[in-house]
Amino acid sequence: MTKGTHTVSFTLNGEKQTFDTRPDEKLLTLLRREGYRGTKYGCGQGTCGACTVLLDGRATYACLLYAMQAEGRSVRTIESVGTFDNPGEFQKELVAAGAVQCGYCIPGMVMSATALMETEKDFEDEIVKEYMDGNLCRCTGYEKIWVALRKVLDRQAAEGNKPAAKKTSSKGAKNEQA
Amino acid sequence: MKLSEFIRPSSLAEARKTLRALGPKGMVLAGGTALHFMPGKTPVTAVDITGLGLSYIKQKGDYFSIGAATPLSDIQRYRGPRWAMHEICRRISTHQIRNVSTIGGNICRVFPWADLPVVLLAMDARMVVYSGKDKEIPADEYFSSQPARLFRDGDLLTAVKIPVLKAHHGFGSVKATRNATAFSLVTIAALLELKGGVIKSARVAAGSGIPFPQRLKPVEAALAGKEAVTAVFKEAAAAAGAAARWVGGEGMSADYIRQLAEVSILDALERAAEFARGRAE
Amino acid sequence: MNRHEKAKNFKQVNHSVIKIDALQLALGKDSYVADFVPRDALTIKMLWSPHPHARIKSMDVSKAEKMPGVKAVLWYGNVPRIAHCTAGQGFPEPSPYDTFMFDKKVRFVGDRVAAVAAETEEQALAALEVIKVEYELLKPVFSLDEAMAKGAPVIHDESEAHVPIPIPYEPKKNLVAHVACEAGSFEKGLKEADFTFDQTFETPYAQHCPIEPYTSMAQIASSGRIVITTSTQVPFHCRRIVAKTLDVPVQKIRVIKPRIGGGFGCKQEVLLDDVTAMFALRTGRACLWQFNREETFRTGRTRHPFRIRLQTGVKKDGTITAINMDCINNTGAYGGHGLTVVSCAGSKVLPLYHCENIKFDGKSYYTNLPVGGAYRGFGATQAFFAMESLMDQMAEAIGMDPMKFRQINHIREGEGSPIFAALGEGREGTPMTVGSNALAECIVQGAEAIGWKKRQDWRGKTGRYRRGIGMACLMQGSSIPDIDMGAASIKINEDGSFNLLVGATDLGTGSDTVLAQIAAEELETTTDKMIVYSSDTDLTPFDVGAYASSTTYLSGEAVRKAAADAKRQILATGAEMLGVLVEEVHCEDATVQNKDGSKKVSYSDIANYALYQKNQYQIIGTASHITKKSPPPFAAHFAEIEVDTWTGFIRVLNYVSTIDCGTAVNPTLAEGQTEGGTLNGISYALTEEYLFQNGRMMNASFADYHIYSMRDRPPLQTILVPSYEETGPFGAKSVSEICINGPAPVFGNAIYNATGARLNEFPFTPEKVLKAIQAVEKK
Repeated sequence: MTKGTHTVSFTLNGEKQTFDTRPDEKLLTLLRREGYRGTKYGCGQGTCGACTVLLDGRATYACLLYAMQAEGRSVRTIESVGTFDNPGEFQKELVAAGAVQCGYCIPGMVMSATALMETEKDFEDEIVKEYMDGNLCRCTGYEKIWVALRKVLDRQAAEGNKPAAKKTSSKGAKNEQA
Repeated sequence: MKLSEFIRPSSLAEARKTLRALGPKGMVLAGGTALHFMPGKTPVTAVDITGLGLSYIKQKGDYFSIGAATPLSDIQRYRGPRWAMHEICRRISTHQIRNVSTIGGNICRVFPWADLPVVLLAMDARMVVYSGKDKEIPADEYFSSQPARLFRDGDLLTAVKIPVLKAHHGFGSVKATRNATAFSLVTIAALLELKGGVIKSARVAAGSGIPFPQRLKPVEAALAGKEAVTAVFKEAAAAAGAAARWVGGEGMSADYIRQLAEVSILDALERAAEFARGRAE
Repeated sequence: MNRHEKAKNFKQVNHSVIKIDALQLALGKDSYVADFVPRDALTIKMLWSPHPHARIKSMDVSKAEKMPGVKAVLWYGNVPRIAHCTAGQGFPEPSPYDTFMFDKKVRFVGDRVAAVAAETEEQALAALEVIKVEYELLKPVFSLDEAMAKGAPVIHDESEAHVPIPIPYEPKKNLVAHVACEAGSFEKGLKEADFTFDQTFETPYAQHCPIEPYTSMAQIASSGRIVITTSTQVPFHCRRIVAKTLDVPVQKIRVIKPRIGGGFGCKQEVLLDDVTAMFALRTGRACLWQFNREETFRTGRTRHPFRIRLQTGVKKDGTITAINMDCINNTGAYGGHGLTVVSCAGSKVLPLYHCENIKFDGKSYYTNLPVGGAYRGFGATQAFFAMESLMDQMAEAIGMDPMKFRQINHIREGEGSPIFAALGEGREGTPMTVGSNALAECIVQGAEAIGWKKRQDWRGKTGRYRRGIGMACLMQGSSIPDIDMGAASIKINEDGSFNLLVGATDLGTGSDTVLAQIAAEELETTTDKMIVYSSDTDLTPFDVGAYASSTTYLSGEAVRKAAADAKRQILATGAEMLGVLVEEVHCEDATVQNKDGSKKVSYSDIANYALYQKNQYQIIGTASHITKKSPPPFAAHFAEIEVDTWTGFIRVLNYVSTIDCGTAVNPTLAEGQTEGGTLNGISYALTEEYLFQNGRMMNASFADYHIYSMRDRPPLQTILVPSYEETGPFGAKSVSEICINGPAPVFGNAIYNATGARLNEFPFTPEKVLKAIQAVEKK
């Protein structure tokens, strides 16, 4: 990038950081430039989901967000989920189920699933499909991804959801009823 | 759409002032997803309004008030008495888009494929526009032509007010798509008021498949005072052909889209009637 | 999971071993081309033709060259003009050399005009804007009829266009390829029939939609050599073709394929690498070129649209007396794969059913439209739509259940077909009798799973929503015999691990894992002892690459042979260490031991001995393999659908894919291939299409070109039916292509079963379905 003209500060994977940027720069470009290459470019048009990151806990397309829209907010990428020694639950199940073929869609799938697991208590099929409908995969037919996801969700539901799970994030709508 | 600057005003008044000063060089930014569909080589300044407390859903007496910067996924998740907005919101685009795209962003500049204007027309919603002070504009007037016309002077949409459905009122919508998350081929929304099995009043709106969302007055006229039964709905739906200028889409002909619209109208009316009778939620 | 008798004792093969790279990918570790780009790499952008057919009268790049950040501009005026083919095929290719890096003519909307390499994407795009091009518009050709018409505009009028092998090629008539054969006499066979059929089918454009777009990066190594890291299915063909187009020796180029984000055939093409390499050479800098999604749709390769006229004759007793398949494909603006795809329409379909009189004629034509390339199924997909649609109609004419009709007619184990010898890919085929064949069992199991017994004739069906059940039988091939070659080498390390080096190309299919399993099985060790490195033209032995469903059957056998070679050495050294004759020992559980196990030495001990201690040498096995036959996998697909007869919308209620791939080396991965290919076939049949306006593809984004998301997927059931292919490594055949062939004919037959409407073209858009239903109701 030719020198940034602006800066943007946001919490990235739990750590507050400030980055050089330009008003025109998309969050995806900034993330990959700064070394967070687990978030992938698949279309640049907000249609395939390979660039899914969490913005204040909600799954979003990093290719559509301007980097400066993240100011003061919290961003989570795939790098925050699991390690070789300690993979995330869903990652473990994906590997075990044979659900990772080319793998290009998988980080995005994991982020959307993470949002689902951390936001909802009810993992009815319809809700799960709605959470995952923005992540395209051309290799697997979704079968084994679904099997792995259902396994993790059913286990989480059986174990009781974490108390931190909220219906919406702090930046979302406040549901007030008269 | 290219951005050359990014401003975050701290109040509604400041936002309006900034936008007035920028003129055509300024662009309201909420979710920002619509910017992708707007061509333009001349860079504009983004005026980010997500920090102005415009993201909420409240019920106040006879109305639900939805802040203009409320993401669609919040509307999708909300539940209130006889709430019906989730039906269409869960059908708009994908999860990631719904988390960021706002109700305001969907109705301030209306694209032909927009679903929310159709629903808001049927529901007789009122749009709250801030021009120094708040003004309420009923849907029929708001959507009488491209709403972008109302925001050229820096005025801002701040909220959408949706009447709480009364008893014996029912809402139904149908969005016909090739895939779950695709743009609509045709979107129909219907609001029926029944009394003793007879249609007391009807508002039926359509979008996609026509150049701009509108009410289908001939269809409404064919429903008024008649029994809320399938045969009546079918006959009313047949008036759709003349009620709007149907346009082909996705390689399919205008004649097919019209046929699809007629069936969709029938289906939407059945849903609205069922809702009104109290069998649906 | 059912195991075949002969596969019962396998310890690694026929087990669902965890895919070697699965965790790395799930964690988002650097794996793909774009993850390895140096910070100072230049960005390449291409100016694409806005016109479907035009001559470039003049071009001025001088302003672009001076733009800020621009390091080089390439256009026809400053690159070698070398006719070649972009198709990733063995040399000499059975495709015309009709492409130039940059030409003075553009032949489709999305053809190359000129390219820029600049410091940033923004700067590259700004430079494109100031390239001045003057076009002379030519009359475009947008359909097969227009291409074939007398006096049609000639799309390839350049003198250099030629074919490197003696095959028919008449560019002045826009004819790219022609292949024909006849077994018996079609005319005679038709006379013997009680019922005859003559129908024409049309199949549409489609794009593979790999989630990773085309991506290529080239750098100049410290040695001065060109290193290309690219998302490719054909690293060795890439090296050869780039060497040719740059006019440099093959020795100067190294091609590396890292992980890639899907291919499905579209990356069996050298579409970017010549330009990337040329920029690296000219600038001395690393250069990255990544297509955006729009470019992938427009300029990327596509599936060949086909027009297929199928004539058949059938007797009341169910004998198919005659088949004549006359097919023409639209290969778009360039001819790569045109011949081979049209050949496969015949060779992979016509042998499926017994028939003494089979005639085939296949042609390929140029048009000024996006370019057909290799796409999973490769002609068989298109032709099965025709064949399986007619199978149902023939069955109905003679009053036989369409499943029974297929059961009495399909090819059996031990049988051959004249088509195998008659139709190769650019040359004569290879005669073959079918070895393993579990199609009969596939049909039975699939029918059971879908509930075939409840299937009813459409004539009794009423109401808005009507259900129908359809089926199709399928076959494909495994490798291209006598033409393609794969090789492997395998060496031992101190801890009993092995480095397995293969040219074979893993697209995400898991071939690295599958090949490791084969090696481990042969070597009597475990898959986790294999370190696989693949697809690097400097370090791995040759392999044609991932296409023609050859990796398991061809490359797998090369791996098995290489492992056997290493095993011989391990046995010899083990025997030496134990002081016994080599005949007295065998390999078992990563040891060499005598018959009763009283004398035993581990692979690790053997490695240490051989590397360090005595008579030192590197235990390394190497082998190459060419196949002598192309044993077909077989499949039977079934589906139940629901048609909304008021709107024409189709809902898939249930889809069953059965597959006989011989021994499934990795059953989970085999299922995964089947599930993915089936779903791709489903959206191909129902929702994918190219919409054109004056030759420009208008719906070049996932918002407008519909592939399925998790929210759309219908219930899919996959049933692996084991057989044992004696000529394949541990009984294996191919698995990955065949599944995509099912949905179009299955749904065509199901729509008929639901409504009486027979559609001869797809995608089965709601409008087409509704029109067809209304036509039936009018009768």
